[in-house]
Amino acid sequence: MVEVINLTKMYGNKVGVKNVSFTAQKGEIIGFLGPNGAGKTTTMNVITGCKPATEGRVLIAGYDIAEKPLEAKKHLGYLPEIPPIYPELKVKSYLKFICGLKGVGREKRESHIGEIMELVKIMDVKDRVIKNLSKGYRQRVGLAQALISKPDVLVLDEPTVGLDPKQIHEMRSLIKSLGKEHTIILSSHILAEVSMVCDRVIIIKKGEIAAIDTPENLSKNMASAECFTAKIKGPAEKILPLIKEIDGVLSVKLDKDNNDSKPEYLSYIIESKKSIDVRTPLFFKLAGLGYPIYEMKSVPINLEDIFLQLTAEEKERAEVN
Amino acid sequence: MLAIFKKEVAVYFLTPFGYVFMGLFLLLSGIVFSIYNLWGARGDIYGMFGVLNFVSIVIFPVLTMKLLAEEKRMATDQLLFSSPVTITSIILGKYFAALFVYLVTLCATGVYAAFIMIFSKTSLGAIIGSYVGFALLGAAYIAICLFASSLTDSQVTSAIIGFGFLFGFMIVGLLTNAIPFLFLKRVVSWFAILSKYEEFANGLLKIGPLVYYLSFAVGFVFLTIIVVKGRLREKGGAKHEKDRH
Repeated sequence: MVEVINLTKMYGNKVGVKNVSFTAQKGEIIGFLGPNGAGKTTTMNVITGCKPATEGRVLIAGYDIAEKPLEAKKHLGYLPEIPPIYPELKVKSYLKFICGLKGVGREKRESHIGEIMELVKIMDVKDRVIKNLSKGYRQRVGLAQALISKPDVLVLDEPTVGLDPKQIHEMRSLIKSLGKEHTIILSSHILAEVSMVCDRVIIIKKGEIAAIDTPENLSKNMASAECFTAKIKGPAEKILPLIKEIDGVLSVKLDKDNNDSKPEYLSYIIESKKSIDVRTPLFFKLAGLGYPIYEMKSVPINLEDIFLQLTAEEKERAEVN
Repeated sequence: MLAIFKKEVAVYFLTPFGYVFMGLFLLLSGIVFSIYNLWGARGDIYGMFGVLNFVSIVIFPVLTMKLLAEEKRMATDQLLFSSPVTITSIILGKYFAALFVYLVTLCATGVYAAFIMIFSKTSLGAIIGSYVGFALLGAAYIAICLFASSLTDSQVTSAIIGFGFLFGFMIVGLLTNAIPFLFLKRVVSWFAILSKYEEFANGLLKIGPLVYYLSFAVGFVFLTIIVVKGRLREKGGAKHEKDRH
């Protein structure tokens, strides 16, 4: 449904995005994840034809956005970062204007608008001037706009920014349900959101794709070590080397965040090889020496760590150079 | 195009812009009509248009300053650019919306013309000529100011640029006398937008001035389309550059 081939966008000599390629199938939700300024919005602007690509192609439903813009855009709904609303219009007349813009037949408009207002839950503000709406409603009006004419492809740039927790939850489940009929490309810098909503994640940093996979695979493949915390009674200077001796332990350090209140129970973060469970030898060893373990808790490696890992690599490399 | 036209006309009357333009236009023409025609007991419409002509360099930029600059500032242009409409139809929709508001306002001044017709011996030809001339002049002014609006994302800057353009075209007629080279003089005097207007005021509907103003309008609308398209068409340029290497 969406095909992006070697997309490069330069701003003068500065790289916006570089060699971005991916495809999105029908009914797939793809999440663009990256820190601010990584090139998410740039990519979306190029995909939707709001900015020209310096190199590469974008195909929407088989049509090149640069060569056949009208056909390509017929299959496209776009919610930019700032919802493109005209503050002086009323919600309903705004959506009517969008219908005209997207070529929805005159006789169908009324019912079509009603349907979409129902879907994004803005029925109660349909006769209000957009200027007077809250941020949450404006965002939903923006989404309604993107949904008019039921395009095959929805591009949503940070759709949950500025919403309150309840609205964020609603927006996410709405996007998830829309994903059944539409191909959705959304961007976010919130990891939980992307892993919750998306079928596939594209991690982007400094304009280049760092990883593309499902959220599960990303966590599985990227995690090279297992990690857990242990709370142990005893002096740290004796316990630290003891843990390090155990076969399979990669690293051990004091958990600084959790060691303020009771100095006799210290918390340690232990990283071990994936193949070896070090908890059994740890238990017997410390028990034998009279250092009781009060608590052991595994820490799952999540997308956040991978994300940080991927972005940190860059930094390390820069430091080496 | 129709959707954009309708939206723009609606926005004119949901915001102060339409009212400010209409109000100023009708207020000024009313004052002039009262002083010049009623109290001065003169039976021509030339005075009214003379004054309107003078203030038009201020009120036309107000009419058009929002059209493209505001879309860019509010990022609503992304909606237009990602919709299945051509740039040409977006610009034309906006141009005709401004032209429509202007022509409706101009028609409202017909009341004065009717008075003049009834109580004086002014020929119908002269009045129609003046109206057609002023309508065409406005069509050209709107195109120039629309172009100004496409150059910036600030309404104020857009209005100032528009004012600058109109002022420039107005005084260019005075400058032509100072140019010693005949050819250059001719070229520059072509841009003296007011010089052709007098021909209408005499009640003569000549094809020359008509074509002149229309080409002015078409030219600047075309320039606007080029400016807006230019932002979306980097690709062609980049390709050419690559070919050259």
